[in-house]
Amino acid sequence: MANVAQPRSQSSVPEGVAGALPASNRSAVRRLWPALTLLAWIAVAALCGCSNEPAPRDTHNAISESGDISSFFYQMLLWLDVAIGAIVIAAWGYALVRFKRATGDDTLPAQNHGDAKLELIWTAIPTVIVIAITVPMLVGVFRLAKRPDQNQQTIEIDVTGKQWWWEFQYKSGTANGLHTANEVHVQAGTAVVMNMTSSDVIHAWWVPRLTGKRDATPGRSYPLYFSAREPGIYDGQCAELCGASHALMGTKLFVHPPAKEVEVEYNGAKVKLDSYETWVKEQLAPAAAPAGADMERGAKLFKDKTCPTCHIVKGLEGAESASPSMTTGPNLTHVGSRMTIAANTLPNTADNLAKWILDPQAVKPGAKMTKIAMTPDEAKAIAAFLTSLK
Amino acid sequence: MSAQLAATDPHEVADAAGHDHGDHGHHAVVENNFMGLPNIKLAMWAFLGSECMFFGSLIGTYFFYHGKALAGPLPQDVFSIGITSISTFLLLMSSLTMALAVDAMKQRNPATARNFLVITALLGATFVGFQVYEFSHFVHLGLKLSTSLFGSTFYVMTGFHGGHVTVGVIWLSMLALLIHKGKLNPAKLPINVEVAGLYWHFVDIVWIVIFTFVYLLEFIQ
Amino acid sequence: MAALSVFDKALEPVYHQEREVKYGLVDWLTTVDHKKIGVLYGVAGLFYLLVGGLEALLFRIQIAKPDQNIFVGDTFNGLVTMHATTMVFMAVMPLIAAFSNYFVPLMIGARDVAFPRMNAFSWWTFCFGSILLNSSLIFAEFPAAGWTGYAPLTTKAMSPSAGIDFWWAGLTMLAISSMVAGVNFVVTILNMRAPGMTLMRVPVLVWMMMVIQFLLAFSFPPVAVGLILLSFDRTFGTVFYEYTMGGDPHLWQHLFWVFGHPEVYVLILPSMGIVSEILPVFARRPLFGQHAVIFSGIFIGFVGFGVWGHHMFTAGMGPIADAVFASTTAIIAIPTGVKIFNWLGTLWGAKMTYPTPMIFALSFIPLFTIGGLSGIMHANAPLDLQQHDSYFVVAHFHYVLVGGALMGLFAGFYFYMPKVTGKLMNEALGKVHFWLFAIGLNLTFWPMHDLGNRGMPRRIYTYPADAGWNFDNLLATSGVFLMAAGTLVFVYNILTSLKNGKAAGRDPWDACTLEWLADSPPKAHNFDFTPIVFSERPLWDHKHTADMAIPVPAAAEEIHMPSYSWKPMWVSGGIVLILVGLLLLHTIPFSWLISVAGGLSIIGSLYAWVTEPV
Repeated sequence: MANVAQPRSQSSVPEGVAGALPASNRSAVRRLWPALTLLAWIAVAALCGCSNEPAPRDTHNAISESGDISSFFYQMLLWLDVAIGAIVIAAWGYALVRFKRATGDDTLPAQNHGDAKLELIWTAIPTVIVIAITVPMLVGVFRLAKRPDQNQQTIEIDVTGKQWWWEFQYKSGTANGLHTANEVHVQAGTAVVMNMTSSDVIHAWWVPRLTGKRDATPGRSYPLYFSAREPGIYDGQCAELCGASHALMGTKLFVHPPAKEVEVEYNGAKVKLDSYETWVKEQLAPAAAPAGADMERGAKLFKDKTCPTCHIVKGLEGAESASPSMTTGPNLTHVGSRMTIAANTLPNTADNLAKWILDPQAVKPGAKMTKIAMTPDEAKAIAAFLTSLK
Repeated sequence: MSAQLAATDPHEVADAAGHDHGDHGHHAVVENNFMGLPNIKLAMWAFLGSECMFFGSLIGTYFFYHGKALAGPLPQDVFSIGITSISTFLLLMSSLTMALAVDAMKQRNPATARNFLVITALLGATFVGFQVYEFSHFVHLGLKLSTSLFGSTFYVMTGFHGGHVTVGVIWLSMLALLIHKGKLNPAKLPINVEVAGLYWHFVDIVWIVIFTFVYLLEFIQ
Repeated sequence: MAALSVFDKALEPVYHQEREVKYGLVDWLTTVDHKKIGVLYGVAGLFYLLVGGLEALLFRIQIAKPDQNIFVGDTFNGLVTMHATTMVFMAVMPLIAAFSNYFVPLMIGARDVAFPRMNAFSWWTFCFGSILLNSSLIFAEFPAAGWTGYAPLTTKAMSPSAGIDFWWAGLTMLAISSMVAGVNFVVTILNMRAPGMTLMRVPVLVWMMMVIQFLLAFSFPPVAVGLILLSFDRTFGTVFYEYTMGGDPHLWQHLFWVFGHPEVYVLILPSMGIVSEILPVFARRPLFGQHAVIFSGIFIGFVGFGVWGHHMFTAGMGPIADAVFASTTAIIAIPTGVKIFNWLGTLWGAKMTYPTPMIFALSFIPLFTIGGLSGIMHANAPLDLQQHDSYFVVAHFHYVLVGGALMGLFAGFYFYMPKVTGKLMNEALGKVHFWLFAIGLNLTFWPMHDLGNRGMPRRIYTYPADAGWNFDNLLATSGVFLMAAGTLVFVYNILTSLKNGKAAGRDPWDACTLEWLADSPPKAHNFDFTPIVFSERPLWDHKHTADMAIPVPAAAEEIHMPSYSWKPMWVSGGIVLILVGLLLLHTIPFSWLISVAGGLSIIGSLYAWVTEPV
């Protein structure tokens, strides 16, 4: 679009502009700054890539089809973004170097106000791109929301988020009635239905390598479907701010092999994983009776210090029901078989357990577990007893 | 472009903008009125748009929780269409008297306008009185703010409407007083009364929505 | 071709003013001048920018390394909450208000806003509200439920501390302030334009300001309702967010995000407007496709009301709602792309110079593009299930809000400060500020993409050493120090330029729009005469097109200027009393009397307001 005013304006020297721009304008650094900016980005981007830290919670190294769907869209959009970003930033960088005003050039550039055809094109192209990425996305949304086939064997688990731990109640198949905390076990290749809810504030259960997160909302229950492929142990965490110890509300996913035990790598160490059914059988059994005087003392202290008010130990007399609910605190029937305590916060050792029992709030700020007066020795005895509950 | 450049005569430009600025240099404040609306009226429309979102959210909350109360009393147990119909009728009548006040002011008849404003305020105050009675009656029937979702949503929604009526009553009374004392610029009186009227009619309409969808619908099923 | 010196020949207008002008402190407390209120907003915004930045610095130190114990649990959560609340409501929004107050009337050739006293009321309500919110640290502790304040974490049972009470009370005042300002500026822009300034000749920045004022007026009521429900739950025992009574936590999320998403555009659109003003000046040519830029801004504003559900993909709304919100969100990419391409079109074929404002404005383009492109990822619901509440989202919105909104506001500062103070800002210090800040922000926020991909959730105060997040977190924290240093250089630059800056003159940048016609700093009445507008670039065409010179009337104008007033502050004070009475309701007997006194004082002040001559 030609501007009528242009010819007249060519020679004008605008007042004021010269005074505003100091002499340092013409320094070499100033000419190079777009290039320097690009370099700065590349340096930062490269620094991230340079880190050869392992990524045990990589969201794009998925172990389930639903995780793959998220990853697929990431790859797709990443390349699209890189392409668009490269075009925009290249055009921008080129313009900065190419269309710099030469020293002493007081003529005006062409005073065009726009170009209808160009604008139509760069409205149309994004529209086409948006449609092209939206259609597969919609397919993905409904694929992720599809309930597993009713005829197929599924593991159904009611998940309840609590400040600050996870409760898992198995609802189907051989594991029906199994009740555990923080560490959830499933079978490779079997569809899992997790019904998410909460009993206090909103939490979100997230195991990055498995699939996307799902909110656990009090008063609501919403399902998460997945089927994990590879046996292994995967860390996760609450992803919705849920109070003081939000950062310490971890979870672990154990994917067991369907048949015989396998060895998997976890944090650089080899760990043996039983078959899922073996694990279920062990967990459904009542707790072993305390063996020996030390264990009996620990069991007695466990009861004397009122631990069963919140924690049940199936098979231990006087600790089989808790109030106000059976799930005020984690079920400890097989607490010794867990890898970690306090919601994936500490490795499950007798020392750590004793530390936790003695002063829960020192381990987790605001922890709801009551700090009960006892000597370190008593705590150790209780910890030793609990550790024996394999 | 060329049209813009062609319009170089100031009077021509001013006309294109829909105004007569033949004496532009001597205007105290240039009002480039949008759609011919004076500032205060445009402001009231924008404010009422904002209020629509406010009451939309409150009424939306009521319906989001409709039928989800875990404990009684329920709407059917407490609502009395008869009594509420009377108060609704009074509020509707107040819109009429408000319109008469606006009209009187347009005829440059401040005394009549003042009288109608007082009547409108009295009708509004009576409506608020009915609401106070209704609330205390419901509390007597066992419905408190904390009783159930119905109690919470009902009292907060209708309470905020009652609050708006109360603000309106204060506004109209103040306006009537100022007219009576002759404290307002006579040239601006019609627009002041008209804007108060816009607010009053809006509050009235909100009540019609609440009465229809909250009270009457309860008895249709 | 007319020189600007013709404006010097204009005669001073003849004043009609009811009351003598006050000086000193009383002037600042009672002013109704949009420029002074703009300065007040600007100073407050910069102050809170430093406060919010300090909060970020503190919690970034805590998570610089794994397993640290400096700010633990709710102390950390409080810092996170206040960082976001401060930056959104008390830093960026008042800075935007500073620009809209100071420059909207100047840019449309008006003497003041439509309702000067209402404008002062907005300011005082903001001022008192922000103090009330921050006083939580003195009287209780910082609110710690996140700036999103997701119920039921905010209920009395889950957060017994009074911090949340200060939070809802403060935010309610900020909401009132914004809604009133929204109404005021909608009227100002629609009704107070200079003769000849048709809607399509309104500068892009003013257009974007108008869009956000509509967003403010229409999006704040839902969150105000959400906050009212919360305050009733906490104060009067209602059960809106009590799930044991059937309450649904999704209610808050809907009410919050119906506001929250338009709010995002409130934060970014003004910076887009500033960039759209600055690029043409230093490219020395008109904005490419000005109408397309304006209409895309309006379109973003409209569609912005229909996308809030994309904040709730993980909440379990069901696949149909997810699909709808994901699709509407993707549409936002189109007008945003149009804007970016038009800015590039402006640069293409230009003859650019690169003073500090231009550098900041130019950096906006790629930085905002990065934020926009990661936004396209979040619009994809299945992918968002992974990225939601992870550091990837933190990276995204900081590129948009720091790389976008804040860089745009910095550009605006360097560009417009000469008009406000009459002094040019120091170019060398400006460059130092730019480089420190630009490198710092990339160093901080770029690694956060990687952290999100590595599965790090946001708002965690500690993390294990073996999760693979150590290196990125250390990088991110080191970048914050660079940003902090840059910001201090910026503040120093403002102060030193005030004292030693070169005189700016009327039009230091050879700019296009009416604000540069006024003196620097402008007189109380802005313009000696009412300018007449012939084009989108009135001042440019005055300088460059012979027959489009802005006519200077030979006679002096007679103008009426509003007088100072105490009443706006009184009314705001009444609101504070009402809220304080509610906050103390369960602590001090009969404190509801404070609320009643507040209500009565508002009525009295309003009576005085309408009867005082202005």
